[in-house]
Amino acid sequence: MACGGRVRFNVGGQVFETTTTTLANAGRDSMLGALLDSSWNLPSSSSPPPPPPQGGGVPEYFIDRNPSCFAVLLDLLRTGSLHVPPHLPEKLLYREALYYGLLDHVRAARWGAFDGDRLRLAASVPGRAPGDGTAIRAAPDGGCCVAHGGAVHVYNWMLDERRPVSLDHSQVNDAAYLDASTLLVAARERRHHHRGGADGDGGDGGGGMAAFSAVSGELLHRFRVAHAKQAKPFTAGALAFDGGGASVFASCKGRLNEHGVGVWDRATGEQADFFYEPPGCALGDADKLQWLDGASALMVASLFPRSDNCFIGLLDFRAKAVAWSWSDATAAASALGDDKRVLHAVAMEDGRSVCVINQYDDLGFLDLRKGGGTGGGVRWCSRSKLMSRKVLLPGEESCYPRLATHGGQLFSSMNDSVSVFSGPEFVLTSTLRRSHGGAICDFSIGGDRLFALHNEENVFDVWETPPPPII
Amino acid sequence: MSGGGPPRKRNFKIEAFKHRVELDPKYAERTWKVLEHAIHEIYNHNASGLSFEELYRSHYVLNLLLHKLVKEGFLLSAYNMVLHKYGEKLYDGLQNTMTWRLKEISKSIEAAQGGLFLEELNAKWMDHNKALQMIRDILMYMDRTYVPTSHRTPVHELGLNLWRDHIIHSPMIHSRLLDTLLDLIHRERMGEVINRGLMRSITKMLMDLGPAVYQDDFEKPFLEVSASFYSGESQGYIECCDCGNYLKKAERRLNEEMERVSHYLDAGSEAKITSVVEKEMIANHMHRLVHMENSGLVNMLIDDKYEDLGRMYALFRRVPDGLSTLRDVMTSYLRETGKQLVTDPERLKDPVEFVQCLLNEKDKHDKIISVAFGNDKTFQNALNSSFEYFINLNNRSPEFISLYVDDKLRKGLKGATEEDVEVILDKVMMLFRYLQEKDVFEKYYKQHLAKRLLSGKTVSDDAERSMIVKLKTECGYQFTSKLEGMFTDMKTSQDTMQDFYAKKADELGDGPTLDVHILTTGSWPTQPSPPCNLPPEILTVCEKFRAYYLGTHSGRRLTWQTNMGTADIKATFGKGQKHELNVSTYQMCVLMLFNSADGLTYKEIEQATEIPASDLKRCLQSLACVKGKNVLRKEPMSKDISEDDTFYFNDKFTSKLVKVKIGTVVAQKESEPEKQETRQRVEEDRKPQIEAAIVRIMKSRRVLDHNSIVSEVTKQLQARFLPNPVVIKKRIESLIEREFLERDKVDRKLYRYLA
Repeated sequence: MACGGRVRFNVGGQVFETTTTTLANAGRDSMLGALLDSSWNLPSSSSPPPPPPQGGGVPEYFIDRNPSCFAVLLDLLRTGSLHVPPHLPEKLLYREALYYGLLDHVRAARWGAFDGDRLRLAASVPGRAPGDGTAIRAAPDGGCCVAHGGAVHVYNWMLDERRPVSLDHSQVNDAAYLDASTLLVAARERRHHHRGGADGDGGDGGGGMAAFSAVSGELLHRFRVAHAKQAKPFTAGALAFDGGGASVFASCKGRLNEHGVGVWDRATGEQADFFYEPPGCALGDADKLQWLDGASALMVASLFPRSDNCFIGLLDFRAKAVAWSWSDATAAASALGDDKRVLHAVAMEDGRSVCVINQYDDLGFLDLRKGGGTGGGVRWCSRSKLMSRKVLLPGEESCYPRLATHGGQLFSSMNDSVSVFSGPEFVLTSTLRRSHGGAICDFSIGGDRLFALHNEENVFDVWETPPPPII
Repeated sequence: MSGGGPPRKRNFKIEAFKHRVELDPKYAERTWKVLEHAIHEIYNHNASGLSFEELYRSHYVLNLLLHKLVKEGFLLSAYNMVLHKYGEKLYDGLQNTMTWRLKEISKSIEAAQGGLFLEELNAKWMDHNKALQMIRDILMYMDRTYVPTSHRTPVHELGLNLWRDHIIHSPMIHSRLLDTLLDLIHRERMGEVINRGLMRSITKMLMDLGPAVYQDDFEKPFLEVSASFYSGESQGYIECCDCGNYLKKAERRLNEEMERVSHYLDAGSEAKITSVVEKEMIANHMHRLVHMENSGLVNMLIDDKYEDLGRMYALFRRVPDGLSTLRDVMTSYLRETGKQLVTDPERLKDPVEFVQCLLNEKDKHDKIISVAFGNDKTFQNALNSSFEYFINLNNRSPEFISLYVDDKLRKGLKGATEEDVEVILDKVMMLFRYLQEKDVFEKYYKQHLAKRLLSGKTVSDDAERSMIVKLKTECGYQFTSKLEGMFTDMKTSQDTMQDFYAKKADELGDGPTLDVHILTTGSWPTQPSPPCNLPPEILTVCEKFRAYYLGTHSGRRLTWQTNMGTADIKATFGKGQKHELNVSTYQMCVLMLFNSADGLTYKEIEQATEIPASDLKRCLQSLACVKGKNVLRKEPMSKDISEDDTFYFNDKFTSKLVKVKIGTVVAQKESEPEKQETRQRVEEDRKPQIEAAIVRIMKSRRVLDHNSIVSEVTKQLQARFLPNPVVIKKRIESLIEREFLERDKVDRKLYRYLA
């Protein structure tokens, strides 16, 4: 723009003056970017230019919108940080940001980059559903979903609830965000419900696995498992997808032979492979799948209480073999007094070890570079004494612990709190706890937020890192 | 209670009414009219009369209605359905308006004549893009809200799809566009200059419309046309060009195509078009090219055509099986020429020349591989295996290589720098690595080294040691321990002699000077031979030395190896001519006899000296029959020595030199019987090694069948030689006899180790 790069806006009667440089921060893909684009400001022979020069030749544009929100957004473009005055409702600001095409800017400035040691409770969102929640999953854009019985409740990053998703109202076992707008749901096959068998739908008894639009809640694609070229009904357990974004994995349990891990092509949604479970490896019962980029292998963990013995294995799909495995089958049988049961597992980000946790909240590590074997091999860290364990009141329900890793930190949920471990030795550095809401049954990290689903009141907490301090 | 109904009813009505007022279909209609007008103005290049803010705002309001409908879509009622129809008007209207405009544009493109066609298409595409951007600006809000939730195509993509369907896929344009593009490319291939900028814009347009459009509507036909073009062209070239020229042309075409891709095609096409050229120009003619008469691979190798070879390698590497074809042809050529080289009887006459030829051949091909084949490991391996193959075809190779070293260390290296020596020795080691019978080489090397050391003819001690070190790193300590022992002996002999003369100087007086090499038995390749009768002068000194030596070292035994020594003697001939003669010990003994007699028969000499007959004959031959060195005269005159000959002192002997070196007539190369003997000794030496290997293996395995033993023994010993399975079998039998092993009582093929 001419005139020293200055621009004047009259927004709902209030005049703002700024520079084209500031407005360039909005990007061409925004309303302000388009407004100033040269194609809309061509000098015309027939008519005078739309913004008539007033006062020193600075062009003025009139925008018929809320001035106080515009002030906040202009400030965001100027400084890159978001400051919302207390009297301004957030929803109003979001609506205006959407009008100007600046919603992504607002979201990016709303909270800082994830750091487990600087988390603050940002919101507690109460749910309406009865009973226990199954899982909570963070979306890459800061939203989340909560699997609850036969439905998945989807929230956008503003924590507005969208249309719930359901797969024939079957019990949902796991959910995963393929991307910000696509949600995978794994559900239990409904045996008593033989609607599909009659109308030639490939013996589809409901349940299984499908992809939904996280925005509209529509069913996009139903993933199939074929055995001997015939589609079979199945129960999908845990979900995962690989880092390259080529494949989707799910643990599957069919009626006959379809026990194992299914692989689908992410682009076409067609079944690409099926890893039938070898004897002794309860792949179909797995409740945790995790893709390991470095090893190009899938970690499968079948854990108590879904299976009696804990089995952790690495599947190599190119070699079609179990590349590494560990099991506590013999340890559980031998009465050595070692009654530590592995209740959850997560592969560490370096891909060299698997972290496990037992019922006493002890963390242990399995070295993936050494042979797995049975029983031994777990390097337990006796740090449970460090923990200030909340003494459970009689009648209060406890939950199985969960593990997660993010940005080199290790997270584990224990009853009503999430512990954060940092550094190469994974020392306890922070504890996230909310006084009410009961035990945490699941938590998830994504989109620079941590979501913790509480058991008792069906509330989920949103933890986020505040923007960095000014100095 | 009767009035309870109406208020509730009214409440409900008010709620519903509020809701529906916003969804006025007429409002939607009106707004759409405004937007439609704007879209037309944009396409008419008349946008300056439009206010973006107003358009954006009016579209925003319409969109709120739309979006609301979608969000509440699951509550669809009949009433909402009607509104929904109006609500969709915006999106559908946009689609219809753009379609209509594009049909207009399509007509004007179709009307463009000849060369202007592409330019018109490109200009209209630019216009459309710009218009599309502006339309998208207005409808930005719809793109963000309505489109994702209703699964519509975003505005920009919609514009591209419509362009694709109504312009690119319009029957009047579709084939014309393709033909024009292919024609231009063909003309460029034939050497014409075309407008590459325009081509780039058009192919970029096709890519913008989606990779599928580019691939289906341009790339596939392009590749097909290219394949037939290059198939025809290569057919023509192969008939009239030699291999080098053909490859040059192929390389140029390949580079042209890559350049074409970088200038105006999508980068993804590079691999595809190059693979077409590779297939048509190289893979299809691969064998013909390699075997082309007078210019194929073999001729290139012979003539060291590095450039052509490099090109061939670079091109063939691109096609499947290309390099393996090259490698196979090279290997068979190397084996053939190598085989001719090592079996050529002419070559066998001069061992030094023979080895030099091998080294030259190796250097030549090493250079080809490093210059033209980019040091490709697989080619190096092929070269090595070829050499290994043909060097071992000739069982005299170990001897010849040792002789070559002997030649180099004896005199060849005079004036050569240390680095040169290293280079030559390294090359020899390379040949040594190819040898299967390394123990034979060791045998010969020991003999040749002994000769060099004892005659004091080694040029450089450092070079000798450096060779030993190389052999040691290659074959281990065991291989060279005896060779090193020889060096130690030389050193201690020197010290002993110094000490002897220092202590016994007064005793010795003026007698002949004695220089004794004390050789450890076993380290040296000596054959025990009875000492000859030494002249009394010498014998005195020898006895003194014996007394001294046994006095200082108790418990040792000294035997004189008179067959290996040398002597310098002074002689006066007729006319008073004095010469110093450098002769062997045997020759000295013979010549000393002539101090007291002028003529002696063969029998008399044999009796007086007791030199073994074969040695004596050689010794006399070199004294009497070699021209210029004939200090003795023989009667009758003939080349050979017979037992009836008589020898006289030749006082007519003359020489320009004061020092005359009278060599012993020896074949430098081994004679046939000697060769047999060496071979036999080698075979003898192998026996204990094979037995040791068998025992080592059986000790750890306890029970093993015959074939496994043979393969294990071969594996263990192949660093030194390749044992013959028949010999291994004999050794096993011998071990059974000596009760180291036994045959299994049930399975006769199995052997058991007896501890």
